[in-house]
Amino acid sequence: MNYMKLFKIIILPSLLLVIMAGCTKDFEEVNNNKNNPTSVTADLLLSGVIKNMMDRQVNEAWGIGNIVAQHHAKIQFVNEDRYGWNERNDIWNTVYDNYRNLQNVLILAKDDPSNPYYGVSLILKSWMFSLVTDAYGDVPYSEAGKAKTDGVYQPKYDKQEDIYTGILADLKKANEVLATSGTNLGGDILYGGGATGILKWRKLANSLRIRYLMRISKKKNVNADLEAILNDPANNPLFEGNGDNAELKYLAAAPNQWPLYGSRVGSFDEFRVSKTLTDRLSELNDTRINVFGRPTQKSVAAGTPEIKGIPNGLSDVDALAYNGGVQGVSRVGYTFACLVCNDGNDAPPAPDAPRALWMTYAELQFLLAEAREKGMITTGNAETYYLNGINANFAYWQSVVPAAYNLNVTMPTGYLTQAKVAYTGSTDDKLAKIALQKWISLYFNGLEAWFDWRRTNMPAIVPGPANLNNNKVPVRYIYPLAAQSLNPENRAEAVKRQGGTDDLNTKMWLLQ
Amino acid sequence: MLYPNYPRFAQIILTFLLLTLSCLAMAQRTVSGKVFSTENQPVPGATVTVKGTDKKTMTNNDGDFSISANDNDILVISSIGFDNREVKASEASRIELTAGVKDLGEVVVTALGIKKDKKKLGYAIQEVKGEDLTVARETNVVNQLAGKIAGVTVVGSPSGIGGSARVSIRGERSVDINKNQPLYVVDGVPISNAITGGSGRNNLEVDFGNGASFVNSDDVESMSVLKGPAAAALYGSRAANGVILIKTKSGRRQKGIGVEVNSNLTFESALKLPEYQKVYGQGNGSGGDFAFVNGGGGGLADGTDEGWGPAFKGQLYPQFNSPRTLNGQATEFTGGDLNTPGTVITPTPWVADMDNLKNFLRTGNTFTNNVALVGGNKDGDFRLSYTNLNQKGIVPNTDLLRNTISVSGGYNLTPKLSVRTFVSYIKSESDNRPSISYGTESIMYLFNCWLPASVKVSDMKRLWQNGLDGNRPYSLADQKQYSWNYNYHDNPYLTVMENTNGQYYDRIIGNVNLKYDFTNWLNLQLRTATDWSNERREYRRAFSTQRFPFGEYREVAIVNEERNSDFLFSFNKSAGPDFAITATLGGNQMRQKSRFNEQVAGQLNIPGIYSLNNSRIALVAQQNNIEKRINSLYGSAGVAYKNKLFLDFTGRNDWSSALTLPDELKDLGTEVNSYFYSSVAASAIVSDIIRIPSVISFWKLRASFAQVGNDTDPFSFQQTYNRSEPFGAAQIYGEISSLANLKLKPEISSAYEFGTDIRLLNNRIGVDVTYYQSRTKNQILNLPLDPTSGYSSRKINAGMIKNYGVEVMLTGSIIKQQNFAWDAFVNFSANRSEVLELSDGLSTYVMAGMNSVSVEARVGERMGNLYGIGFERVQSTDKNAPYYDASGKYTGQIVYAANGRPIPTTNRIPMGNYNPDWLMGVGSSLNYKGIRLSFLFDIRQGGVLNSLTQTVGREGGIIIETLEGRADGYDLSKPGNGVIGQGVVMDGNGNFTPNTTKLTAREWHTAWTNGRGIAESVMYDASFVKLRELQIGYTIPDKVFGKLPVRGATISLVGRNLFLWDKVPHIDPETMGYSGGTAVPGVENMSIPSSRSYGINLSFKL
Repeated sequence: MNYMKLFKIIILPSLLLVIMAGCTKDFEEVNNNKNNPTSVTADLLLSGVIKNMMDRQVNEAWGIGNIVAQHHAKIQFVNEDRYGWNERNDIWNTVYDNYRNLQNVLILAKDDPSNPYYGVSLILKSWMFSLVTDAYGDVPYSEAGKAKTDGVYQPKYDKQEDIYTGILADLKKANEVLATSGTNLGGDILYGGGATGILKWRKLANSLRIRYLMRISKKKNVNADLEAILNDPANNPLFEGNGDNAELKYLAAAPNQWPLYGSRVGSFDEFRVSKTLTDRLSELNDTRINVFGRPTQKSVAAGTPEIKGIPNGLSDVDALAYNGGVQGVSRVGYTFACLVCNDGNDAPPAPDAPRALWMTYAELQFLLAEAREKGMITTGNAETYYLNGINANFAYWQSVVPAAYNLNVTMPTGYLTQAKVAYTGSTDDKLAKIALQKWISLYFNGLEAWFDWRRTNMPAIVPGPANLNNNKVPVRYIYPLAAQSLNPENRAEAVKRQGGTDDLNTKMWLLQ
Repeated sequence: MLYPNYPRFAQIILTFLLLTLSCLAMAQRTVSGKVFSTENQPVPGATVTVKGTDKKTMTNNDGDFSISANDNDILVISSIGFDNREVKASEASRIELTAGVKDLGEVVVTALGIKKDKKKLGYAIQEVKGEDLTVARETNVVNQLAGKIAGVTVVGSPSGIGGSARVSIRGERSVDINKNQPLYVVDGVPISNAITGGSGRNNLEVDFGNGASFVNSDDVESMSVLKGPAAAALYGSRAANGVILIKTKSGRRQKGIGVEVNSNLTFESALKLPEYQKVYGQGNGSGGDFAFVNGGGGGLADGTDEGWGPAFKGQLYPQFNSPRTLNGQATEFTGGDLNTPGTVITPTPWVADMDNLKNFLRTGNTFTNNVALVGGNKDGDFRLSYTNLNQKGIVPNTDLLRNTISVSGGYNLTPKLSVRTFVSYIKSESDNRPSISYGTESIMYLFNCWLPASVKVSDMKRLWQNGLDGNRPYSLADQKQYSWNYNYHDNPYLTVMENTNGQYYDRIIGNVNLKYDFTNWLNLQLRTATDWSNERREYRRAFSTQRFPFGEYREVAIVNEERNSDFLFSFNKSAGPDFAITATLGGNQMRQKSRFNEQVAGQLNIPGIYSLNNSRIALVAQQNNIEKRINSLYGSAGVAYKNKLFLDFTGRNDWSSALTLPDELKDLGTEVNSYFYSSVAASAIVSDIIRIPSVISFWKLRASFAQVGNDTDPFSFQQTYNRSEPFGAAQIYGEISSLANLKLKPEISSAYEFGTDIRLLNNRIGVDVTYYQSRTKNQILNLPLDPTSGYSSRKINAGMIKNYGVEVMLTGSIIKQQNFAWDAFVNFSANRSEVLELSDGLSTYVMAGMNSVSVEARVGERMGNLYGIGFERVQSTDKNAPYYDASGKYTGQIVYAANGRPIPTTNRIPMGNYNPDWLMGVGSSLNYKGIRLSFLFDIRQGGVLNSLTQTVGREGGIIIETLEGRADGYDLSKPGNGVIGQGVVMDGNGNFTPNTTKLTAREWHTAWTNGRGIAESVMYDASFVKLRELQIGYTIPDKVFGKLPVRGATISLVGRNLFLWDKVPHIDPETMGYSGGTAVPGVENMSIPSSRSYGINLSFKL
């Protein structure tokens, strides 16, 4: 009898077991994440990619670009300025992180030429990969961003040459598809979408083609490609003025202010105007220096305001002691300053005045001037291109700097005709003048001034006296150290392909 | 879940009631009783014999027995570890046994709250008694396991007051650094041990404590540590890393009300302070003078934050704390008051602030009072306890106030039906928990890296500049901090007094347990338990703070809830004279929910108003709701043969919601959300089976094999898009960077262990040895991916991790006399973990990275290896590799570049392993006539630590090492100035010569780490010896109190963490980095000095 009873005891748990299994019915719902959507429209992704990449342009310019190009120099924590660079992963991480979202836009656009997101995404993709390959050399490209779609977790590193082939093809394609695509483009915080915006994107695509064709012009003959763009302006629109500039205008309200607006004053002030910049601009009597720097506190106190730069690459001690100390060295322009980086009784600077730069009309004009001067193209006049570039850059800064700052950015009389500016002299002289003006115009434009110098070697960059790189200007970043663990074979192969070293002086394909 | 079945359930209970009643009616006379230890613990497995007969029975798990006997019969009760006792059958209802031999016959609480005789267990378990937790105590009770339990590593929080403790048992099984924590169980029911990270939104890390850190030690009767999966098999997934079982105190039977009082007052001070150089003040190494003008570079070196300035010779310099005069008249203002036009700073002597940090820190104190009312009769017991903990941390303005009210009670409603409940309400309030890690909000960032010795810290107790304390109509200029440096740093007093991280926390842990005894061999328990907490965090940042010129207010609300409901049938019966059978069958449903809700006012309108209403800009909000459920069924069966051989099986099946595919993904993946695992354990009392030399009084062998399954975090399958702050009107979303895997399977860890327990010399010496090994396969982990793949990590089933080790416990009663006893114990453990496999052809799993090191698991290597950039060194093994020296003369030497700086390696190289080689706890106690002296040493051998204090403290010229190379200032032509690195340089022909290039001290100390790039230069051996605990107590004889009802009054002097012997400069090696709720071991990242505590404990009963 007892066993019968016992049997009954077993029934209860058995029932419970059945119920337990039944209880898992709503597990699908329990494990359904209701905090965030599992799909979104392309506009919501595009805005983020643009914002993040443009912020990176500013921060990368600030951290390295302006320093290595010697627009700025450091007075404190001078490692960057002395080329004591350890790994610098921000470009790498920002590009690949945002490429994930750009891939999603491309997937949503389904390679449909009528979809404006398709062409715009190709432009962004081209630019992003140019940044990362220019900074590092061979990088993952064809297999990048494919963990979700293709299960590629350790992408191979593509040859820089192949990456540039892809970039140029994509830009060409972008120009073509956008010519006939729809215009319903949301999330376009760069150009505002619509027919006007799409046209500007096309202009950007073609202007970038000029930039990248020139970039590889030492490795390949690109003359025909350049000429093809210029010969057919109707189908290959280019930047026509500052209104076409690819730049992000920041907002007055946090958190969309100028990215450096929240800096600590000390951290901001470690960066000063480079003597290279002040020397070159004062030689030209160039008023743009009033945007780039502020008169030293010492000179203001003495009633003789003077903008004075500091040489790059000094030792810790020498940098802080230069010209009698920090008061004797110009701070970076008020326009770019942080909330609490104002002098004395100045109001805080405007958080929405400075902009993030991708590519400007001035840069395009200087590229064309160079190409024309070198005879790579036959369209147009080199001097006109050159003067367009100078005038546009002056006009640009005049439009950026708020009137309340009372900064004189007017081009001085005779500026364009003075010997150091006038488009005269030998071809080399002219190319040097183009390079100099271009260098000025690339102020705060990401790493572009550095990349361009690598190609032209103009204007000269002289490593500072306390540099830690055997008197060589670095030509690249080292690969992220994490890649040694996360993608070791492919990284090793890329290192081997580029000469067996992974340091600041390793010559990528462009420089070989 | 149980609800719909109540009718059926009642029917079954009724059936059993009838059945048992009929049994009773048939018996002539059944004597029932219960056997207790003197500690009021039921004694299971005790043999009860009717004297002079062969009638025999055994007590069940709750110490209950029944036997047929006449009232005048004498019952003999015997149990290993207790003295035999004889009682009249009529007095059997409550029998107390006195412990005969220490530690034997110990009853321990095992899985599901089942009490077992320790001798029968086939696996290792170790227990700490409540009184060991309340006398020399810590705010976080978990810290007190250190040294007391073999195989348990506890690393306290780097934040001081009651922070979270990182506990790992038997090393680390998981390559996911967050998954190595044990499960905490209170009265048989799991509680939450969640950590919600305290960083984000531009704020530094704050350690707000993990779930277990809020447990009130005064309510703890014992903590048992179930070390391996066998011990934990019945707790399921979360028990894979062991279980810490907390049994709460209950009332006891006595006449009238019992009152228990425990008061504890301790003082805390820093155990070890960094050593700063006190020879040179603020400056930049130029050898020039110093002058404060505006603390921002307006004077001489007054904008720098480094200690490379002029030597202290009492020379006069204007400084931030020098007085200001106006037209020659004294004013109340000093250098740091910048809004005093026309004033002039009067230079004052240049001297070192010798004890800057020591004076800044204060003597903390912790005052804990507990009073408990207890009572009970034969049918029930009751305990009400109130604890008040009031702590002031060693960092000024950090505090913790915790009130805990607990009620526990049990009642035998009928002879068959009993109920037990425990409810604890915890209210914990801290107006400020310190910010930690590297950044302006952390005071140690300032002290260890960027505070020159010339700055008199105590002069910054004034927080605001002259008249700029914010008590005026608003403008940005109206609240300005007063400080020594306005370029980079915040006044450290401002940091702790104004920029607070408050935490207001309410938690209820409660359980109700209904137990019905169908017969004396079958019972059913129904249990339900809730752990609910509601936490609010308030971050305040004042105007003019470096990172927040307009201040900030951030509020975070976190609600965590965990509910467990279970049923458990227990069967315990003798089958014939030789066999006893136990079996259990149960089921559990766990429901976890958490809500995270954050709102940030990134800038404020009016200074000092910390409210979301006062936001100057759009509020930023974030919300995250998470839910998870696990249903389980489990059972166990055990056979005991003649009380000598024991065999136990367990089995459990879990159904997890976290492994269930949401509907939209059902067709895309494969779902395995149900998983079964089991264990078997055996033990044999060898000494009862075979004849052994009499020197061995007890010998047990045990072995077990067990599996534990595990699931994953909720929402692991969906690839979501998260919102970022919009850019104007443009909304921004982005796909999360971790890649889901729709084919996740449960992970299974298998372990076996062998052990033996030997007692020698009449049980005076005990030796307990365990060897264990586990393998975890299909481990679910977030595998970091190369970001070029588009994703930063991916959930995978991967890997095989092998974990093995040995634990040895030695106990000895060295002297045991009437009035004098000397006991000692040694706990030793050594553990190794290895990665045997990862999936997808991957060879390396990056567990964490911080500072310049990454914690990696590479296939075939030991877990916890650190990798980082090292020094290039001369080698004479590979001709084709760099720095080859055929002569072998310079092998191993550091290679310097021509500029005198060490050359860093291109690749990351091994930097050692952060896990200790072995751990040992050595304790002893002496008892003489009521006087008790005890101590505990905690010894850790091996393991490495990367010190950020060393890296940056050198850069800033702050720590004492930076005196190297500036024996006499900065002029390199003077002897003792400058540093020539020990090593060689290589010329163009590959020949080596000793390095002769001298660097300035400032250059050298940065070059040493290549500007924070080289990890090798700051790696240290983290071995240490700590005097963890010292107590001297005196139990006042009851008779002293005469007629006063005071009993058991004990007064003790207690100390914890009193001394430290170690090899790491500046910091206590027992530390860890902390980032986003993840502890990163092997890394020191600006921890707040650990504290030494000493005080007095008083307890008595009425």
